[in-house]
Amino acid sequence: MILLEPNSYVLEETLLARFNSEKPEVVDITLVDFDNVIYHVQTSAEQRTLLNLSVEMKYFNEVCAYGAESILQREYGDYLVPVANSQYQITLQFNLEQLPADKAGLAKHVSMLKRNVLASPFIRAFEYWESQQEGAGPLMATHYRENEAIYVQAQQDRVTVIFSTLFQEEVDRVLGKVFLQEFVDARRQAAIQNAPQVFYSSREAPLEIRHLPGLRQDESVGYVSFVLFPRHFADAEVREKTISQIQLFRDYLHYHIKCAKAYMHSRMRTRVKEFLKVINRAKPDRTTAASEKRTASGRYFRPQFRQSSATSPQQVEGEW
Amino acid sequence: MSNTLRPYLSAVRSSLTAALCLENFASQIVEKHNVPEVEAGNTKEVLLKPLIVSRNENEQVLIEGSINSVRVSIRIKQADDIERILAHKFTRFLMMRAENFVILRRVPIKGYDISFLVTNFHTEQMYKHKLVDFIIEFMEEVDKEISEMKLSLNARARIVAETYLSQFV
Repeated sequence: MILLEPNSYVLEETLLARFNSEKPEVVDITLVDFDNVIYHVQTSAEQRTLLNLSVEMKYFNEVCAYGAESILQREYGDYLVPVANSQYQITLQFNLEQLPADKAGLAKHVSMLKRNVLASPFIRAFEYWESQQEGAGPLMATHYRENEAIYVQAQQDRVTVIFSTLFQEEVDRVLGKVFLQEFVDARRQAAIQNAPQVFYSSREAPLEIRHLPGLRQDESVGYVSFVLFPRHFADAEVREKTISQIQLFRDYLHYHIKCAKAYMHSRMRTRVKEFLKVINRAKPDRTTAASEKRTASGRYFRPQFRQSSATSPQQVEGEW
Repeated sequence: MSNTLRPYLSAVRSSLTAALCLENFASQIVEKHNVPEVEAGNTKEVLLKPLIVSRNENEQVLIEGSINSVRVSIRIKQADDIERILAHKFTRFLMMRAENFVILRRVPIKGYDISFLVTNFHTEQMYKHKLVDFIIEFMEEVDKEISEMKLSLNARARIVAETYLSQFV
């Protein structure tokens, strides 16, 4: 499982279970997705057969400016209802009695909601490129997390995507550097010559966004730029794939940093176990069969040792 | 084993074996107390001159002897940021489990990465030569482990990057 999926699997499962259940049950479930997106699946208060899906997306107002509304309207127009609670930005309503035949397909489609909304700046940029205008297009920023943002800008011959990502810990920062360096170097391989160009800088923001106010410029922040060439977004199918992949970059990177840490941890555990075996060899074995003595009542007689030697090697190992 | 590592380890081994000549010694200052003199440092006449075995400036072993205890501190090689973090994580991991390791000290002394404290009670209850074996094996393994972890981290990063980028082709 190296790659992440663009849809939210747990949302898909949850919705499908509700769609397929014979009797509509009352549900109230909160689910989370990447980038602090929260889904709230709830049965309507008035009618049991109505299922509401509310989505809390902090950056929704930003992407609205890039045409997210029209994407929502196009993809989920039949289910879109006005938002009831101000905490949420999007609400979809499903009538469980009037679902289309392909329930699995619908659940899958809805689970792509976050991806489709976040796709809007990318689509806007690709359209700008198609229009063949002179000069660079507008710089579109999406603050998908606190202090982290995606910047998309179309140029005449390419589209630049810049991620700013934050490493909270010193360890993450160092590991992140190793990973990002490999992203930069990987393109030298013949097999992936066609991949987008990757640049990485920590601390210094790339030229495209340097004029923006309020950029963090310290050790903990990293800027990664992808340069997408027309072959990455020329035809519609490749374009959709590119959008799905590039969106997940930040999650992918951080996920693998965590995997690397977990691996190191399990490795250290094994190593410590080995060391314990070595140190336990230094303890003389006092429970050999010959030295066992019984008292008159048939109990074993064990001489009293000091505290440190009272725990036998086997016991110590058992604790691990 | 590289050429310079072997004499380094054998020097540590023989100095350590010589230093581990310990006997019971009750405190001269407080009655009924029996403390490791090298830690207490109150009785100057039972402390021996500390000894440093050094491979280079980044890899050193400090052996501080006394009448009833020996303190061994190791400085582990740390060439770059990653090795520094790995060494730090690894030693911290060990020291959190110090009570299982009997002779391990919970906190290293200043300037070193990990410290051991061997008292006369340890040498009485455990085989002395095996204790020395443990410390030597530790020194061997820790370098190996850190460089292996570093390699595997780089390999992982490469695979991760290639898998991600090859999707765009």
